[in-house]
Amino acid sequence: MLTKGAMEMEQTISRRSAILRAGKGFGSMALASMLEGAESRGRAKSVIYIFNHGGVSHVDTLDPKPVLARLSGETVPSSFAQGLKTSRIDFHKALMRGSPWKFSRLGRSGLEISELLPHVSRHADDLAVIRSCHGDAFDHAPAIFLRTTGSQFPGRPSLGSWLVYGLGSGNRNLPSFVVMSDGAMKSGAGAYGAGYLPAVHQGTVFRQGPSPVLNLSTPAGVSRDAQRSTLDLIGDLNRRHFASREEDSTLEARIQSYELAWRMQAEAPDAVDLSNETEATRKLYGIGEPVTDNFGRKCLLARRLVERGVRFVELFFGTNLGDDWDDAHNDLLGSHIKMTKKSDQPIGALLTDLKARGLLDSTLVVWDSEFGRTPLAEGKNGRDHHPYGFSMWMAGAGVRGGRALGATDEFGLRAVDQPKTIFDVHATMLRMLGIDHTKLTYRYQSRDQRLTDVHGQGEFTDWLVRG
Amino acid sequence: MWGRCFSILAWFGIGTLGASPRLITAQCQQCHGVQTQMAGVRLTSSEEVLRNRERILAALTYTGKIKMPPSGALTAAEVKLVRDWIDAGAPWTPTAGPTATWWAFRKPERPALPPSTSGTRNEVDRFLAATLAAKQLTPATEADRATLIRRATYVLHGLPPAFEQVREFEADPHPDAYERLVDRLLESPRFGEKWGKHWLDLVRYGDTSGFEQDPYLLYAWRYRDYVIDSFNRDKPYDRFVKEQIAGDEIYPDDPESRQGAGYFTVGTNRDMLFKVEDVNRVEQLTDFVDTTASVFLGLTAGCARCHDHKFDPVPQRDYYRLQAIFAPAVKSRVFRHYDMARVYDLAENTRTFRLYEIGAQLMALMDPYRKAIRDERLRELGPAAVEAFATPDDKKTPEQKALFEMYAKKVEPSDEQIYARMSKDELERLHKVERRLVSTFKTYAPGPFSPGVNDAGREAPRTFLPGPGGQPGEEVRPGFPGALGGGEIPDPPLHAETTFRRKALAEWIASPAHPLTARVMVNRIWQFVFGRGIVSTPSDFGTRAAAPTHPELLEWLAMEFTARNWSVKEMVRLMMRSAAFRQSAKASRRAVESDPENQWLSHFTRRRLEAEEIRDAALKSAGVLSAKMGGRPVVPPLETEELYGMSQPLGNAWIVTEDPQEHVRRSIYMISRRNFRMPLLEAFDRPEGVLSCSRRDSSTTAPQSLSLLNGRFTMEQARRIASAAKGSTDPVAEVWKRVLARDPRESEAATAREFLSKQERTLGSAEPALAELARALLNINEFLYVD
Repeated sequence: MLTKGAMEMEQTISRRSAILRAGKGFGSMALASMLEGAESRGRAKSVIYIFNHGGVSHVDTLDPKPVLARLSGETVPSSFAQGLKTSRIDFHKALMRGSPWKFSRLGRSGLEISELLPHVSRHADDLAVIRSCHGDAFDHAPAIFLRTTGSQFPGRPSLGSWLVYGLGSGNRNLPSFVVMSDGAMKSGAGAYGAGYLPAVHQGTVFRQGPSPVLNLSTPAGVSRDAQRSTLDLIGDLNRRHFASREEDSTLEARIQSYELAWRMQAEAPDAVDLSNETEATRKLYGIGEPVTDNFGRKCLLARRLVERGVRFVELFFGTNLGDDWDDAHNDLLGSHIKMTKKSDQPIGALLTDLKARGLLDSTLVVWDSEFGRTPLAEGKNGRDHHPYGFSMWMAGAGVRGGRALGATDEFGLRAVDQPKTIFDVHATMLRMLGIDHTKLTYRYQSRDQRLTDVHGQGEFTDWLVRG
Repeated sequence: MWGRCFSILAWFGIGTLGASPRLITAQCQQCHGVQTQMAGVRLTSSEEVLRNRERILAALTYTGKIKMPPSGALTAAEVKLVRDWIDAGAPWTPTAGPTATWWAFRKPERPALPPSTSGTRNEVDRFLAATLAAKQLTPATEADRATLIRRATYVLHGLPPAFEQVREFEADPHPDAYERLVDRLLESPRFGEKWGKHWLDLVRYGDTSGFEQDPYLLYAWRYRDYVIDSFNRDKPYDRFVKEQIAGDEIYPDDPESRQGAGYFTVGTNRDMLFKVEDVNRVEQLTDFVDTTASVFLGLTAGCARCHDHKFDPVPQRDYYRLQAIFAPAVKSRVFRHYDMARVYDLAENTRTFRLYEIGAQLMALMDPYRKAIRDERLRELGPAAVEAFATPDDKKTPEQKALFEMYAKKVEPSDEQIYARMSKDELERLHKVERRLVSTFKTYAPGPFSPGVNDAGREAPRTFLPGPGGQPGEEVRPGFPGALGGGEIPDPPLHAETTFRRKALAEWIASPAHPLTARVMVNRIWQFVFGRGIVSTPSDFGTRAAAPTHPELLEWLAMEFTARNWSVKEMVRLMMRSAAFRQSAKASRRAVESDPENQWLSHFTRRRLEAEEIRDAALKSAGVLSAKMGGRPVVPPLETEELYGMSQPLGNAWIVTEDPQEHVRRSIYMISRRNFRMPLLEAFDRPEGVLSCSRRDSSTTAPQSLSLLNGRFTMEQARRIASAAKGSTDPVAEVWKRVLARDPRESEAATAREFLSKQERTLGSAEPALAELARALLNINEFLYVD
């Protein structure tokens, strides 16, 4: 029997060496104990972060702009276009294009959402929409880095890494930070990397199928019994080696890491085994239906992981080498119908399911995007990248829904009322988990680095939970 | 010039000594600066002014043969002011605050050697002994020879010794057997491969440039080979610094040296993103300043980009002075052999033109059939599809658009389907063109180029401080941080083809008098030998850095480093000959309690193998590790599952090297994509390669264990070991020798035999069982850690 979980041990060791390496001593011990209280203070215990790869059009989903429809085919006043640039269109010349989709007032709150999202719309009273997001990166990789790490250049720790660095693990047999994607992301793995934080905090990619983690299954031709015997031999030889080196806890941690690996081999396939979900649940998520099956499985898996104590589940939806929101460049209609058909029902199901199981109270669900899309047309049928004003939503963990924060201008171009940067969003997410974003630091290059750098003053937790 | 200098000095009110260096810089350095040193006199730093004190004062007082300034003698009062300034140490920039007296910014001085005591072998030990005694710690006894040779071989080569080498060393009767071992290891080219990797971590080396396309940096590996070669030849470190920062300006006619400036080209960039050229340029300059400051100076300059930081030795103005040094640099090719480069370019130029013609011929032959098949297939799909395809893209209705999307790929014939329709005659013509196409590429290979930089010309773009509202503020001139003596870089001579700014920087950094250069590098060498630097923040010697554990030892080493002609190998030899390095890794009870991080070195610090060492050692155990050096990066085959997440199609992003002999080369020669790390290496803390990495993590995680336990790579090596060992008279001993370079103890052999018979029953035959034994040994701590 293990006296202490190996994962906890790793975290402890890695935290300790990080602290020692950073030469911080007592100051950071204080930080560590401050963070230990986070769980009791935080409203959320886990986060499911749905990130739309490629960029969702805000004016077609969450940000109704009737003026745009009325003036369709005209250019915007040049004072509005001034200073805006993106890769393909010229804001002075491109024509306004109203949304082809209807918005309606929904639920008791009357929150306006477009008909593209019928399933998510049913949860309108639970959604807090932020209509004033903005950033300064209009290319994919920089925009993904910006939203996921706070810098449009790679190499910085991602949101999930910071979060598990701060909160530690909730299940010693599973990774704390799990990533699921549709494969090729334009940022590469930097979007969920640990940057300069200890590598143990980087996101673990779960793939489809019974063996979600790389190298989780025993090598071909090696039976489970043979694997166990080999592990026993490793353990045996390691203990003999350890007998004359008992002062070195790192060696002990590694011995335990093999036992943990063995337990992960058992637990992870179980966590991803959807066969013991009821038919009703599977149907709810659209599993078995060709269009919704893929993302439905991911959403259901996200719920199962959160149930098992995984802290941060990040779902990247859309890919460089397949269906992507970015197909909106030349086909707004086709791309947005395709992408919402694939994801709307699963996300709606996720909210329904979390709520039914009482998990929504402790799970923060976030729906975010690289950037929005231009309210102006690209060519005849498309919309270009647009980081200057766009929308996201949050739900769960005590968020008071049915409301929208901030606004873009009348054309949906710029965030003008209560503009929110990604730092404000990150600061808010941390606080929802009980962490003060100014105190979650890591010493690197002689500076106490933060996820929010010197920013985050626009943090809006109070608005989210109190209104 | 001098006259103007001092009259302006007088005009400033004189009282401020600080005005002197600034004016000397602006006025006098045209004759006595970085680029021109008339009469061999250079006045660009306090040190140089002090060194020339007598000559300066003699010239100013018009008492000697040389009379300065030439325009007329100064007044006695003016001369006194200069004399006072020099006597005050010729402070180059008036400095105040915490940085003025910071130890790392003062010139190192040779400390007195502590007395020799029992157990000390060389000077290093004498310094360490003093602190050990003060901490009441007793040094550990010397490690046994098997441990020593394994430790030394890992430190110097990143590889384990072979069984025979251990045996031989254990039996070596010479009293200096160990010293000779170290000498021998230092002479092997494996040294450059291990120590070159340390350097590549620091300079954020990669074979691609990152971001969405992650394009190849086609010739980056030439810089990698240059680094390996530099360490193998024990290039003096000052020379190594100069070549990398300004090889093009200092050694313009020496292509080998100019390759050093590839340093600027092997990092992340996003040059392929358009309409953001301004941002790209700022980021590039930021990378140059931050990386250069941290790698060569151990300074973290980054904060100053946005604001003055009260603890930071580099205030904002200094940051932009540094940035101005790099402003004129543009990426370029270094022609390693001019004639060959010319031939290559000419051939390439002709080839391209020929390809246009070949492409046109192929299309002419194939297009009619392609169109015919497409049309037939469309007709089968019905008139709506025909119409949808015929309608121009911008006129298509949503339904037509959908039809088009749905069938666009389906109606397109494959090459084979086209060939099937062609006549024999046409096919023959096609094959003739194809053969011509192939022959055009028969001798295709990388050109004789290396990546480098040079200045666009004598004129540099101007550099400004950030002003309010994102507007440019005050203009700044290129120069050095005030806390380190400051100094501006003068304009280049009129007919120069470059600004010589990087030359000035390189020479300033590579000076033996620079307070940081030798300290920072010698501390890195210490870290690579002992596992932890004397300053444990190796790229940060600023005012918030960790205090040195052995300040006097660091000073002494820094002095030795420059005295020994900046020889890295000499310093490594010195450190490894110490008793401290030869200690056992066994920590005493007292050490465990009072010094858990072993900063006082009362024993050797055990460490886990680095990612590349694990892979290389496994290949060596399997008997297949290739000794081939250099050349373009190798792309080893990986499972599709391992390649998951690649941002570009695998056909472009993972072009597997055909020759299997290449797949078993050392890890330093494997491709390092910015967007994708080989999973085994990633699991064992290989850095992301985006920012400079001065010290690797050594984490312990379950995914690591899964990776080494279940990964295809381990299984492949285990099978190789089993196949090599199965014919041996004692297969168990053979596996032990190959993986652990020793014979098994009797109890281990017994356990192993029992294991084998059990596994043989489970797996059905002997060889897979033996492979399981090898797989186990490749996973145990004895293999993964260096005592």
